[in-house]
Amino acid sequence: MKNKTLLIVMTILLIGSFFLSSCGQAQAQTIKIGVNAELTGDVPKIGEGTKYAAEMWLEDVKAAGGLEVGGKKYPVELAIEDNESKAESAAAANTKLITQDEVLIIIGPQASKQAVPAGEIANNYETPMISPWSTNPNTTKDRPWVFRACFLDPFQGPVVANFVTQEFGFTKAGVLYDVASDYSKGLAEFFKEAWEKQHGAGSVVAYESFTTKDTDFSAQLTKIKDAGAEFLFTPQYYNEVGLIVKQAHQLGFNSPIVGSDSWGSAELIPLCGSDCYGLYFSTHYAAAGATGATKAFIDRYQQKYGYVPDDVAALTWDAFGLAQMAIQNCGKLTGDLKVDRKCVRDALSQIKEFDGITGKMDFSQGNDPIKCAVIVKIDDQGQFTFYKQACP
Amino acid sequence: MAAVSESLPEQKRWYHSLAEKWDDWFSDIPMLAWLVGGLLSVILEYFVGSPFARMLGMPKAPVLFGFDIALKTPILIPSALLYDIIIYVLPILIVARAIGNVSNRIAQWLMDKSIVLATLVHIVLLYAVLQVWGDLSDYRVLVLKLTLIAIIGTLSLNVINGYMGEFSCSQPGFIALGAYAASVLSIILFVNNDLFGSLNLPASLAPFLFPFILILSGLISAVGALLVAVPSFRTRGDYLAIISLAFTFIVKSLLENLEVFGGPRGLSGQPDLSSLPVVFAWTMISIWIINNYVTSTFGKTMNAVRDGEMAANAMSIDTRKTKMVTFLFAAFWAGVSGGLLAHVLRYVNPSSFGIQKLAEVLGMVYFGGLNSVVGSIVGAVGMNILSEALRPLEIYKWIIIPIMIILIMIYRPTGLIAFREFNVKNLIRPKQKKGPEA
Repeated sequence: MKNKTLLIVMTILLIGSFFLSSCGQAQAQTIKIGVNAELTGDVPKIGEGTKYAAEMWLEDVKAAGGLEVGGKKYPVELAIEDNESKAESAAAANTKLITQDEVLIIIGPQASKQAVPAGEIANNYETPMISPWSTNPNTTKDRPWVFRACFLDPFQGPVVANFVTQEFGFTKAGVLYDVASDYSKGLAEFFKEAWEKQHGAGSVVAYESFTTKDTDFSAQLTKIKDAGAEFLFTPQYYNEVGLIVKQAHQLGFNSPIVGSDSWGSAELIPLCGSDCYGLYFSTHYAAAGATGATKAFIDRYQQKYGYVPDDVAALTWDAFGLAQMAIQNCGKLTGDLKVDRKCVRDALSQIKEFDGITGKMDFSQGNDPIKCAVIVKIDDQGQFTFYKQACP
Repeated sequence: MAAVSESLPEQKRWYHSLAEKWDDWFSDIPMLAWLVGGLLSVILEYFVGSPFARMLGMPKAPVLFGFDIALKTPILIPSALLYDIIIYVLPILIVARAIGNVSNRIAQWLMDKSIVLATLVHIVLLYAVLQVWGDLSDYRVLVLKLTLIAIIGTLSLNVINGYMGEFSCSQPGFIALGAYAASVLSIILFVNNDLFGSLNLPASLAPFLFPFILILSGLISAVGALLVAVPSFRTRGDYLAIISLAFTFIVKSLLENLEVFGGPRGLSGQPDLSSLPVVFAWTMISIWIINNYVTSTFGKTMNAVRDGEMAANAMSIDTRKTKMVTFLFAAFWAGVSGGLLAHVLRYVNPSSFGIQKLAEVLGMVYFGGLNSVVGSIVGAVGMNILSEALRPLEIYKWIIIPIMIILIMIYRPTGLIAFREFNVKNLIRPKQKKGPEA
């Protein structure tokens, strides 16, 4: 009886697989693009933005009948891997994408914690990788195969310092940052350096820190207030910004509070409310009042997924645009992955002007783009409106 | 309910008859034959795996037994199953059966010669299986390395949580200390780094110095363990859990604030020293030493401490010494696993060694089984392979794995293979018909 069942199962498997295999065959050479994203773990919203932007891009390419390279249209496939916001998994996912899925180029990971080890893998296997959002210098340092789509903190810190000096004419700064987050800490340091260069040593009158997941900042804020800071710079994520700004106002600190690109999330206003109205931050792009391609992207994203895309989604979109441009600039695909990857990498590093929705990018000076930052003002409706542009 | 109880006896009979058949055919096959079978099947895969997979309609030979392919494109499930059966299951069963009797004689001969030799032959065979299996894809090699390292970490925690019965949460701290110590040492010694300067030793020396680096980093995390061992004299249970958890956080925020070690940005650029043979060798050594430790007379005092500290004291067991040595011993191996991990990823940062790491290691210990070396190996391998295989499911993976752990906690509260001694002699001895110790 059992033997018979076994026989039947085997037969079904055999027939099934041969039948199915026949439909899967005879496909033309496809361009495979890997996405290494934080779909689960600490920051799933970031992974979600990445995935949505990737899917939108794929939709466009499919609508165009494939990606045209050298006069020939190639079908495009995405291989999306979850890195669970873990360094080990990011490395494993990248290895899998490169050796198993045989992708031409990888987009992601977003956070530096994942992007640094993943970049190591990509560089070892000579596969181009673009991290849209990672700001850690180590991600691209000494790695010819790894690129990024965002500006770096050594640029953003001075941008904020210059903006405050020109706009308000303040001389005394207070800084509040998360000591356990490499992003916040790095940016706070670059800001301090830039500010003190302009206003002399000691002009950062209060340089206070806390640790990730702290929710009470009253001690630090009181110190900042008592030190006579004329404004507060806090390069924190949107979930902390709400708490910091509210607590600062409760303590009677009514001077301006300035932030960085990590503020730019759709979640900021629901968490912060009217307390955040009228504040400024530097970022990659301004959603409200955007024009042209940026507006088209935002509208489409909002219509499709129900919320205004944050900078991660926008940067991912640009990373895909960069990848597409590089592949197309390559001229032709040989089908030999090693040659094609090299070709794409070389094409990427030669991009002099890429007109992305987060601004123009130029890779002529290395693997970090030269691009402009924007200063955004949160208006009375809680929308992020363009205020000023700052270019290097 | 009635239906369930009715169908139960029948199910049991079916299960029994299958087990009987299995015993009938395969119970007298020694480990040696299984390993040879495994080796032949991976060699078979090495040569015909890819074309065969393509014949079945899969783009490439499936990496993790077809899980990734099956989950991403369910239409290929029959192909993946067929691949597994034809490439792995059938060859292993056939070869093992065919050489069963011969290999029994060989195993006997090896054991008569010397048990060390016999063990070494088995280990070399196991390594050969892994090496050939990994040759097909670098992804497999990485998964293997991470799994082997997880075995060391899980074993080290099982020594404290399982054998000694203290609920310690300090393992991520120990692993972090080891990872950082090993990274800093190897960066100072071999890499031209602006953080520490460099001795610039020739790279050819690196593989020979790496064991010493690992031992030293293990010792450094053992020193850190003193901080946890001392309070463990006074507190037990929940309180020790909290204190050891505090230790993990202290280490993490220490590393975050020490700018020399890169602060929250972490350290990167470690030389590539954790190759598969190195990791494999360290895993085998750790299993050997930890197994000897827990089965020694001194190791038995850990169980005494767990089952009744006062009684143990009364029976002239120095419970302080037991706790102290055990904590340092476990921390040593956690440190070694951290050092290996740092050189696989070639990047460490403090936030990798937080609560999530703790949950992972605890999960592997309790999944596999308390007080059991085999259990830890099963737990680490099972959780790692499972978590890698189910990755395409994204968020559902985090529903499936916890449900599995909950089910195991309900039906086997101490884990899958708990309270079992790991005896190499039993494992590799020639087998007679009717199963081991029937």
